[in-house]
Amino acid sequence: MNRLFAIAKLTWKAAFRFRLFWVMAGLLLLCVVALPLLLKDDGSARGFTQILLTYTLSVITVLLGFSTLWLACGTLARDIEEAQMQVVAVKPVARWQIWLGKWLGLFALNAALLAVAGTSVYVLIQYRAKRLPPEQQQVLRNEIFVARGSLKPHAPNIEENAEALFQEAVKKNNVPPEEFEKLRGQLRERVTAYEQIVPPGYRREWIVDFGLRAKLLRDQPLFLRTKFFAAQTNASGTYLGLWQAGNSQTGVPVPLSLAADTFHELQIGPNRFDADGKLRISFINRNETALLFPIDEGIEVLYREGGFGFNFVRGLMVILCWLGLIAAVGLAAASFLSFPVAAFFSASLLVMGLSSGTLSTVVAEGSVLGLNHETGAGGGGLLDAIVVPCFKALLRIVMLVEQFSPVDSLSTGRSISGGQLLRAFAQIVLLLGGFFAAIGIFTFNRRELATAQGNS
Amino acid sequence: MSRRSYKAALLAAAVVLLVFVSFFQKALNRERSDPQLGLTRGVGLGSNAPPVLAFTTVALGGFRGLIANALWIRANDLQQDGKYFEMVQLADWITKMEPTLTQVWLVQAWNMAYNISVKFPNPYDRWRWVQRGIELLRDDGLRYNPREALMYRELAWFFQHKMGQNLDDAHMIYKQEWAKEMQAVLGSGRPDYKELLNPTTEDAKHRVEKLKNQYKMDPARMKQVDDQLGPLEWRLPEAHAIYWASVGLSESKKSELITLRRVIYQSMHMMVLRGRLLSVEPLRFGPDLAKAEQANAAYEQMIRDDTEQKDAIKRAHRNYLKELVFLLYSHNRMADAGRWFKYVRETYPGSIPEPNLDDYALKRITGEMTGMTYDRTKTIINGLLSQSLLSLAADEDDRATGFELFARRLWSNYADSTKGQERRLGMPQIEEMKRTLVNDFLNPTNGLPPEAAARLRTKLGLAAPGPNAQK
Repeated sequence: MNRLFAIAKLTWKAAFRFRLFWVMAGLLLLCVVALPLLLKDDGSARGFTQILLTYTLSVITVLLGFSTLWLACGTLARDIEEAQMQVVAVKPVARWQIWLGKWLGLFALNAALLAVAGTSVYVLIQYRAKRLPPEQQQVLRNEIFVARGSLKPHAPNIEENAEALFQEAVKKNNVPPEEFEKLRGQLRERVTAYEQIVPPGYRREWIVDFGLRAKLLRDQPLFLRTKFFAAQTNASGTYLGLWQAGNSQTGVPVPLSLAADTFHELQIGPNRFDADGKLRISFINRNETALLFPIDEGIEVLYREGGFGFNFVRGLMVILCWLGLIAAVGLAAASFLSFPVAAFFSASLLVMGLSSGTLSTVVAEGSVLGLNHETGAGGGGLLDAIVVPCFKALLRIVMLVEQFSPVDSLSTGRSISGGQLLRAFAQIVLLLGGFFAAIGIFTFNRRELATAQGNS
Repeated sequence: MSRRSYKAALLAAAVVLLVFVSFFQKALNRERSDPQLGLTRGVGLGSNAPPVLAFTTVALGGFRGLIANALWIRANDLQQDGKYFEMVQLADWITKMEPTLTQVWLVQAWNMAYNISVKFPNPYDRWRWVQRGIELLRDDGLRYNPREALMYRELAWFFQHKMGQNLDDAHMIYKQEWAKEMQAVLGSGRPDYKELLNPTTEDAKHRVEKLKNQYKMDPARMKQVDDQLGPLEWRLPEAHAIYWASVGLSESKKSELITLRRVIYQSMHMMVLRGRLLSVEPLRFGPDLAKAEQANAAYEQMIRDDTEQKDAIKRAHRNYLKELVFLLYSHNRMADAGRWFKYVRETYPGSIPEPNLDDYALKRITGEMTGMTYDRTKTIINGLLSQSLLSLAADEDDRATGFELFARRLWSNYADSTKGQERRLGMPQIEEMKRTLVNDFLNPTNGLPPEAAARLRTKLGLAAPGPNAQK
């Protein structure tokens, strides 16, 4: 272990010797100070805090990401090219210890820089928030400076319900076997529609079970996050409904005219639970058109799960996991490539990782060349047969990293739980980072260090 | 040389070189903007482009399009997720990437003022987004595209349609907030142009600064528009629609001008319908029939000026005149109504088939007289009498007389058409119908508020209620 730390210490020393630490710390602090002066916000305190959090944390991540990549490639590749590695390699230190020590050094360096930048962001937004009027501070406390968990109504079992209807239909009518699949599909659509659609003049109730959490949320406001679609648009673009959170004793119906196709967050007064910890949300459609509440995102209730400080730290730690992976990618590339090629290779890998939008479009459409919108068929043929499965596999790997979005969660006051953090560490650092570490250590072990001298 | 003095020498050299290079800056800028070979050719940003814009348009070159695409995609994704806090920033970047493409400005501004604003249930949140849309066009879009008619048209349209019309649930808040802002700058009532053009007090100087810097309005131009088309009520959005369309007409390239002319005559039309601001808090406005002449003059001017779509403007003019006649009639301005009735029949022969003013006005309110059933007629008469009494309670006597006149005219028309069938189809006497409504309105439990009820009672010459009346 001491050897690992010794190599890590050398990496730190190099970072200080080349003034990288101070330059990066200065750059990060500059972005924290300068960004609020440059950003254009929507004019609300909430909007400004959200954009400030999003942009400062994003810029910090990008800056640290690139510097990590650069440093990871440089520290190993240049050590090899300039023959300094030979001096280390002849010491009683295993190659894997050198590799891992360098990674550990970079990880610790990033942790320190992230701590400096994170602290300054935290202090900045708290300082700005304190200067706001009390009601705005309250909005921030409720919606941004908080770690909110979320619960959704129990999802209906569409397949089971559709199957029950199917069995009944088959029993009652003489359905030929070749029509079974078609009938199943129609019934599935019918059940899905029934679960989602609120016809004009109708009422729909959703029940969100908070269980024992309800007791912990006494006197705490909740937030209803909802989204719906309208069967027919109207001139104003908004749709009137009577919303009620709680039962007839705890809640009163509130008329609200809301826009379709977008998320709304509506505050719910505290203590609206039933005795068994259930929260009833009801909606009466007061429009002349049916409204559709999607099962997955139609209704969601947000509640306070914890404070902002710890959530912020957890968010930074997820970012640190990303940086750990980038360091592993850079070191792995530098284990067998020269510095410029390793830097280019790692940057390309990163860009590919960031192109998950393209990957998911291809996977969703099942074609690289796009769909023929008349026939619905892909135009790639053999190309699709090869590339789409590859993209599917790639996307699954990329999603191991991209499914965590700490910046997004922090700017919308959503909780990053300890479990999520552990999963992020396991998936990003241990699994993916471990994969690149294995490649890196393997190639570094097999590399003939002396032959690299000619390159310098 | 020591390390310290070496560094100092380098720093001094850098400063000297910087001063030296500044002498060449003008020549460099001239070459950069050379119409044949200059780097900034084709990017007509004018001399007031900020450095960040110069950077994005020149340094990024062809990559601007790619970056703009990425920003559009991000903006679209965020909008899908209902996250709007970045939209102002993204719109700013996107427009700066393509500063001379008018459609980019129009789409971004429209998105904020129309699409995003309605996503918010709180009317003040909506108002903020409408303002952001207006600001994007007014503060930046027009700065880089001062000769684009569509840019002026869109800005004017936001005032005329988004704020002026009633399609948005929050339109009253938009109007009220705007009226408050304008009142703070221009004062209530007519603007004091003498003061605006030559401010002497600190307060006046501050207000003129605000008018120019924040609202980008020129007092001299305001006066010019007011002299030509006014008097305008500057606290209402229509005046600003007219202002920006007028600026556009004089500043733009000579294409798409019809869109600006439309804004002017439609807004003038609207000023007649509700161009009189009675109070800001609560927001109350009513028709301004005194502007009938100016609105007509605006239409006629636009017909004279336009070379491409005269017929379309004439159709709009004809409709305006027909509506004006009815409006004057319903406000008991019989002489004016008669004069405009004659004018519209002479200017647009065949536009009003009814032989006289009474028949025309009655038809406007009832539709075709044939097929008027007992129930429908009674309902309409009741409605007209209610409007008349409510107008009296609101101290609008002319309007009240107009509605009562309609009711009486309709009653007698109906009586004529059902002569001999009184037993089956006879309508109650109009006085009786009126008495019933008066009793309802004066009912202390569910009638008009006490102040309005007292006014109605005074106007009708009724005695004050006894001491036992319920509260």
